[in-house]
Amino acid sequence: MGSLARAYGRPLAALIIGITVLWILALIVVPLGAMVEQSLWWKESAGETSLTIDRLYNDIATLQLDRDSATDTEKQAALDAEIVAKQAQATELEASEKNPRKIYGLANFTRMSELHIYIFVRTIFYALLVTLLALVVCYPLAYAVALASGPRKTVVLTVALIVPYAINELLRVYAWLMILDYRGVINGVLGWLGVVDLDNRGWIPFLENPSAVFVAMIYTYVLFMVFPMVNTLETLDRNQIEAARDLGATSWRIHRRVIIPHAKPGIAVGCIMTFMLSAGSYSVPQIMTRGQGGDWFSQLVYRQFYESNNWNMGSAYAVSLLVVCTLFILLMMRLFGVGLRDIAK
Amino acid sequence: MRGKDVRLDKVAIRFGGTTAVQPTDLAIEAGEFFSILGPSGCGKTTLLRTISGFIEPSDGRVLIGGEDMAGKGPNERPTALIFQNLALFPLMSVAENVAFGLEARGVRKRQRLARAEELLALVALEGYGGKMPSDLSGGQRQRVAIARALAVEPSVLLLDEPLSALDLKLRQHMRAELRAIQKRVGITFIYITHDQGEALTMSDRVAVMSRGRIEQVASADSIYADPATPFVSTFVGEQNVFPGTVVSANANEAVVETPVGKVSGRPKGALAPGAPVLVMVRPERLALDGRRENSFPARLAERHLEGASVNLVFEAKERRILAVVPNGPAARDLPEEMTLSFGRSDAMVYPEGPLANG
Ligand SMILES: Nc1ncnc2c1ncn2[C@@H]1O[C@H](COP(=O)(O)OP(=O)(O)O)[C@@H](O)[C@H]1O
Ligand SMILES: [Mg+2]
Repeated sequence: MGSLARAYGRPLAALIIGITVLWILALIVVPLGAMVEQSLWWKESAGETSLTIDRLYNDIATLQLDRDSATDTEKQAALDAEIVAKQAQATELEASEKNPRKIYGLANFTRMSELHIYIFVRTIFYALLVTLLALVVCYPLAYAVALASGPRKTVVLTVALIVPYAINELLRVYAWLMILDYRGVINGVLGWLGVVDLDNRGWIPFLENPSAVFVAMIYTYVLFMVFPMVNTLETLDRNQIEAARDLGATSWRIHRRVIIPHAKPGIAVGCIMTFMLSAGSYSVPQIMTRGQGGDWFSQLVYRQFYESNNWNMGSAYAVSLLVVCTLFILLMMRLFGVGLRDIAK
Repeated sequence: MRGKDVRLDKVAIRFGGTTAVQPTDLAIEAGEFFSILGPSGCGKTTLLRTISGFIEPSDGRVLIGGEDMAGKGPNERPTALIFQNLALFPLMSVAENVAFGLEARGVRKRQRLARAEELLALVALEGYGGKMPSDLSGGQRQRVAIARALAVEPSVLLLDEPLSALDLKLRQHMRAELRAIQKRVGITFIYITHDQGEALTMSDRVAVMSRGRIEQVASADSIYADPATPFVSTFVGEQNVFPGTVVSANANEAVVETPVGKVSGRPKGALAPGAPVLVMVRPERLALDGRRENSFPARLAERHLEGASVNLVFEAKERRILAVVPNGPAARDLPEEMTLSFGRSDAMVYPEGPLANG
């Protein structure tokens, strides 16, 4: 703080700190805090309360009858007292029925049904698979782009990669839908070639396979894998590759011992981004399966919010996903032996 | 380790339309410390990369130990290249760096690390195996690069200006070190540099290169004392250049009309009367008196004390003339107007041609 003030002067330093605090508040603390808070409580179920109230009024009516038929004054007084007590309880409950009680606890997390847990695990598995596939696809691509010689070649390759991403994500996903649909581009071509018989519904049902979602997802998020990798690979001194070759190393060994270790931070960042995006992707599975195929967890979260209208449960689901993603980041950083500092590079 | 000879047979290298190396014949002996000296951009690296196999020559053949290297990649040649920036692997320890070539050859870990330790000892870096390259000084990294290259037991070590990143003191130290290592291992060293000091102090023989062409191949002494062309003459060491025209010439003597008068010198090449020529005299060959054959008046403009010697800058007929004399009483309290002279054998007369730096 002192050094900041010395470097920029007091007013500017205050401004910088102010902006930083605001940034942290607006981007991290407030949204995350709200979500976590939401996930940690639930409203006492209103249905039960009204049942209890009904029961109380029944009791009161019975007591009233008893009181009216009673002759003993002592007994009458006792029943009167009981009626007043029940009435007070009912009034209290009526108030809480209109404004149910908040209860804090972890129940939102523990109440997840078995099916939802299964979907959660499957989503994480799918996201890992997408990440792995994207990595396999992107490494050669990033390598080619990064080490392409001549400015022209790099420009062409970069444009070829960026142009698809200038198109809106939804459009890109719908495009894949059209390609893979029953009467889509691929089946169309196959039909034209006589491989499948479209008239008798003899098409290949690409969309019914989870891999359709994979394909669209890899296509949608591939850039987030490629760019960090290209960035780190571009900083690799080509002489190192030549030196390794000169010392007799095979291409495989050069990749394993020289290039991949150098690209590790980029690979880690790419994997983290791709994993986070695909684990949390809503539009791709929703569009590709038209909401009919195996659910992804993000779709469950959506439904908790907007169909079950249970925001607390939805928040708990979202927080669970966030926790797993964070664990994944830490694991990747551990696995690749990279620190935050390397990633920031 | 045994050195092998390297022969270039009419090797030419072109990149698209431009010729980086003109057709070149060169014979480098086995076990020789051979330098290729030339200004930057003259094609040295290209030539070296051709020998190491990263570039296939557009024409001609490269022979190493009598064997034609055509079609052989860098990993199939008995050469090892030390890069200008060393290209150590920054994420591997020093020992792993040195052992990398052996790792690529499938040598067991224990054996290759033992060998790496031996090689580190050879370059006076015992016990540094566990460090990372970034922990070492420039000179130490230099030696790691040498050890790494030697690990694959090359017959020819190719060095691309490996000292250029070091500071002057270290550079001078490493010159002696490199020369000693070469003597110890006995293999052929081909060393390229734009620094004449390096080439002259270390090499058995030097090739001077200019614009993709080798101008002269000779021992360091003859390169300095008997340069073959105006380029070599001016690139290696200092020269006083007097342009002129030939008055008369035979095999042993040429008389030339120059701005400082008629002078005579040794002809380097066929000279006909009237031909434009360049007369060159080394600064240390100029005498501060009029007693030699060729004398002319000059005015002392600057005096720079170098320590053991003194650099004197004169002006004669609007030309700057440099004389280097030993420091002593004779080099002090000089009058402003003087007569300088040089002997007939101190002057070399070249047919007009390109000079170094302009
Ligand atoms: N890969 C290449 N493509 C095109 N031109 C090149 C290439 N490599 C070198 N050159 C050209 O060849 C000439 C010699 O370069 P180089 O061998 O690197 O010189 P030096 O090592 O003597 O400084 C230069 O003009 C350079 O621009
Ligand atoms: Mg060079």
